[in-house]
Amino acid sequence: MSLNPIDRRARSFLYRELMAAGASFAEINGQACAMRFGSDSLAELARARAMAICDLSPLRRTGYKGWATAEWLAAQGCRIEDAPNRVYGQDDGARIARLSRGEFVVLSDLAQSTTLPDRLDGAWSIASANGCFRVPRTDSSAWVVITGEHAASMFAKVCGVDLRPHTFVNHSIAQTSLARMNAIICRSDIGGTLAFDVVFDLASSVYLWGAFLDAMQEFGGKPVGLEAIRTLAGV
Amino acid sequence: MTSRLPEPFGALIDRSKPVSFSFEGRNVQGFKGDTIASALLANGVTMLSRSFKYHRPRGPLTMAGHDGNTLVQIGSEPNRQADRVPITSGLKVTGINYWGSLEHDRFALLGKVDRFLPVGFYYKAFYKPRWMWPYWEKLIRRVAGLGVVDLHSHHGYFDKEYLFCDVMVVGGGPAGLESALAASDAGGEVILVDENRMLGGSLNYARFDAAGERAKIERARLVAAVEARSNIRVMTETICNGAYSDNWYPLVRGNRLYKLRAGETVIAVGSYEQPLIFRNNDVPGVMLGSAVQRLIRLYGVKPGSRAVVAAANDDAYGVALDLLDAGIEVACVTDLRSDPPSAPLADAVLKKRVPVVAGSTIYEVESGSEGRGVRAVRLAKVTSEGQAAAKGDSFACDLVAVSTGYAPMAPLISQSGGTFAYDAASSMLAICSLPDHVIAAGSLNGAYALDATLEDGRRAGFEATRNSQPASAAVPTVRADKGAAGITYPFPIFSHPRGKDFVDLDEDVQVKDLEHAMLEGYEHIELLKRFTTNGMGPSQGRNSSMPAVRLAARTLKQSIDATGTTTSRPPVMQVKMGHLAGRSFEPVRYTAMHFRHLEAGAKMMSAGLWMRPEFYGDHARRAELIRAEAKNVRENVGMIDVSTLGGLDVRGPDAAEFLNRMYTFAYTKQPVGRSRYVLMTDQAGVITDDGVACRFHDDWFYVTATTSGVDAVYRQMLWYNAQWRLKVDITNVTAAYAGVNVAGPNARAVLQKICTDADLSKEAFPYMGVREATVAGIRSLLLRVGFVGELGYEVHVPASEGEALWDALMEAGKESGIRPFGVEAQRVLRLEKGHIIVSQDTDGLTNPLEADMAWAIAKTKPFFVGMRSIEIQSKQPLTRKLVGFEITDRTQPMPKECHLVVRGREITGRVTSITDSPAVGKIIGLAYVALDQSEPGKTFEIKVDGGKLVSAVVVKLPFYDPDSKRQEL
Repeated sequence: MSLNPIDRRARSFLYRELMAAGASFAEINGQACAMRFGSDSLAELARARAMAICDLSPLRRTGYKGWATAEWLAAQGCRIEDAPNRVYGQDDGARIARLSRGEFVVLSDLAQSTTLPDRLDGAWSIASANGCFRVPRTDSSAWVVITGEHAASMFAKVCGVDLRPHTFVNHSIAQTSLARMNAIICRSDIGGTLAFDVVFDLASSVYLWGAFLDAMQEFGGKPVGLEAIRTLAGV
Repeated sequence: MTSRLPEPFGALIDRSKPVSFSFEGRNVQGFKGDTIASALLANGVTMLSRSFKYHRPRGPLTMAGHDGNTLVQIGSEPNRQADRVPITSGLKVTGINYWGSLEHDRFALLGKVDRFLPVGFYYKAFYKPRWMWPYWEKLIRRVAGLGVVDLHSHHGYFDKEYLFCDVMVVGGGPAGLESALAASDAGGEVILVDENRMLGGSLNYARFDAAGERAKIERARLVAAVEARSNIRVMTETICNGAYSDNWYPLVRGNRLYKLRAGETVIAVGSYEQPLIFRNNDVPGVMLGSAVQRLIRLYGVKPGSRAVVAAANDDAYGVALDLLDAGIEVACVTDLRSDPPSAPLADAVLKKRVPVVAGSTIYEVESGSEGRGVRAVRLAKVTSEGQAAAKGDSFACDLVAVSTGYAPMAPLISQSGGTFAYDAASSMLAICSLPDHVIAAGSLNGAYALDATLEDGRRAGFEATRNSQPASAAVPTVRADKGAAGITYPFPIFSHPRGKDFVDLDEDVQVKDLEHAMLEGYEHIELLKRFTTNGMGPSQGRNSSMPAVRLAARTLKQSIDATGTTTSRPPVMQVKMGHLAGRSFEPVRYTAMHFRHLEAGAKMMSAGLWMRPEFYGDHARRAELIRAEAKNVRENVGMIDVSTLGGLDVRGPDAAEFLNRMYTFAYTKQPVGRSRYVLMTDQAGVITDDGVACRFHDDWFYVTATTSGVDAVYRQMLWYNAQWRLKVDITNVTAAYAGVNVAGPNARAVLQKICTDADLSKEAFPYMGVREATVAGIRSLLLRVGFVGELGYEVHVPASEGEALWDALMEAGKESGIRPFGVEAQRVLRLEKGHIIVSQDTDGLTNPLEADMAWAIAKTKPFFVGMRSIEIQSKQPLTRKLVGFEITDRTQPMPKECHLVVRGREITGRVTSITDSPAVGKIIGLAYVALDQSEPGKTFEIKVDGGKLVSAVVVKLPFYDPDSKRQEL
């Protein structure tokens, strides 16, 4: 039986949209996560390969910024390189998006097997900040993933950056405007399927979700649940 | 259908698919692929519209969407181009701009009194006597304008898409196709854009050899090659509607506006065939030669039965051959040139024994009743360029085809920064400079002979990809003689003593109109254009600009270069408002509790991008509900969503020093666990924002800012610290927190119910205290603040838990009668307490001294942004001051915000806030007044709607709870 999102204190800003679209929920990190839409998992998987959007807001993420952040993250065992606007994969499946010399977003893996966001947040305190400051990404930013072969074409309707696969290579980051809202777009293909993580203003969740659905309509795009995305990833 | 030609004529139509539509209420049959105009002509309907000014009958001129004669109304959409819009079943098409019917337009009488309606007559009439203007206006509005806008029509769906490519080629004719292929050879991404349905450009309709075979062969070769290339994206029926900096182009296709950024651009859009000007050159049945060829070859329409061809180049003879192939008798070819040279097409026409009258022009067209169609053409001998002798022979005909020259399609080149100069050898403008990354090809670049056009296309495609070519690769050569010389008649204007020799068909501008305007002093080409409106109509001068320039040059006895041309600006072609406007993105931000507000019946209002509850309940009871919400806060407990309030984390060892510099107050000694008011000024000492700074750690301040001001405050902070280099990090965490202000005498009791780990008593958690605590199981920041002047707590929690917090507070307060209150009640409450709202009670000039906020300025610290300006201002006498006032006489009308404070004829200030206070029982407000009016007890007058003066008395602030006992409970 599907979990009711309002039975949990923490709620995705999109839970009403997801319920209206027929989502079935399960608990992840103390809140309801849309796992599937309907009962045809193969059709949902096919949609994820063609054109789909999935709300990953319940998944753990965190952020850090400040002049000594790169050193602090390295001291915590994170593997990051100097180039900004790149996503750096970690051994446990987590990803660290380097936005600039001193700003980072830490995204957990789809299986939620990584403990990196929690481990970092646990290690950090204002008393020992010393040039590295936590950014509450879980609460300031929504997180969706856009997948499928038409993803770049869909983005062309809402974003002025050239995100076509041959110009915006895997692990690239664009910090840009999406439908006139600031957003971070990270290309992180999933199991060979073109995929973009989009991290954006939480308060604009409903607006941008609607803009995405509108833009992907001509490609047959619809929401999919986390299960389909995990299947793409083979987890 | 009476005028259809057999196959192979009609490349665009599918004869197996008949399509019915209506025109002026009459059923019309066409074929799939027909445009409205081609289907009508196939059915013998030659009049599609009435002219703008004289309401003369008009028919297609270009059949390419390059004239204004074909504008029609389609349902609720005015001004669609009948020669571009394909027919669909059930389409309802009507004419525009008539009174009565298209056939019998009562406004046509205007054509008979044209001598009283010269260009610019409206500038000289109607303005006196002044009382007549309302009548004139009504008449002018009735007569002027094209089509009817249906304000209630359904909004269409329009959207936008970004495109990118290495090379964009605009124009799918022979030069464009060759360019695209050459650019494709280098391996880059090519986008080929063409406005027509079918690639090929002039290869689809024009004749390049006597047998009429060359075009077919070249088209087949080029199109097949382009279609075989995977790196060429073809976009037909797409209009490149302008050129902007950095190779940015708007492309219009269907209901979508594409925004294309190209690395290099090849513009190969070709030329406009130009009209010949003579008396009655606007009568339906007078067309450009290329229009006749399009009708025959693309739509299989026989545009007449007996034609006269006006010629000044070999292309005209191609038209004559096409007419003959279509079974149309050619009464004669009248060639403006006195000694037409031998040329393949001309020779073929002569062989067919078509009469050719050399050195002769069309003097006038004799039309049928009321100018509805061509009946005959009268010729006249050309005595010199643009001059003709007395009229000569008459030829009966129903079709006139004009092929006397071209003009390059200059707009995209001009808009991208290229320039043109007049080339006397070709009698046309020629490109003399191009900006970087823009290349011209084809007839636009002076290549008219087909072989030269193809070579020029290859050259352009190569140049566009030069950086990808081997250094040793040679630029493809183009023959020296590109066929431009002699293709355009130098002065194709033969004015007539009786006028109706139209230079601009859109605006009914005749030769004499331009001449008279110049006599009046409108000699500059831009002035001439605007005074006469020549070139200002729907076709934007495509057919009329060059004739006007030629006329001006001749009249003013100067060169064409000295005369100049008018400025070209986007859009190149018609564009719908929908393309410009939609799909418009209108971002909106919702708080975590947004849907709870809707469920509670809130009337929402915009606050920047945010939506906030204005009040809760029925709009008809607005005032009553706002008062009730405010009363519940004063007497019981209310809660308001303050999530939209800006939140900034300022962290680091220099955080206190940073705030000390950014705000007027002092923060270095602010204790942890306390909050302090912040007032921000700019370098001019003007108030820009306010809020509170909450110190949670020596190195951590959580600073609030106004809902609409936080983004600017954040930018300012980053900007200043980029210079100061203090060890501080600034993070905008507005969206990260949901906030609720629980306020009222029962606030503590309600909050304490669900706050389990903090003592909320006055002693443990005093006014202006801040702390972390757990509320309803949620880790929270608690702020004891008093914006509304009652015991109050702001609870800030992670945004994802905001809705749960709201629910928990509503539940906890249920027994006490808690109810949510909106922004309007909050405004009333804060006004009663005398608190200002920055940007409502301040303006772009207000300094803290005027706002009576000197108390918020630290006197001893060395610096803050705006300090120097405020010091200077403090040494000057104040000119105005913000004061509280009350109005006790309830028989007076209540002033509104922004009503002026006046003293005689002098304006001394304005009302910034006003309300009928439930708690004070009076009308109270804030207003700027002159300094000598600002002492408590002084009276001043407010000028309200209708000019009445209302008296107000200055009172000391705050209006409510002057000792602030209630907020410190």
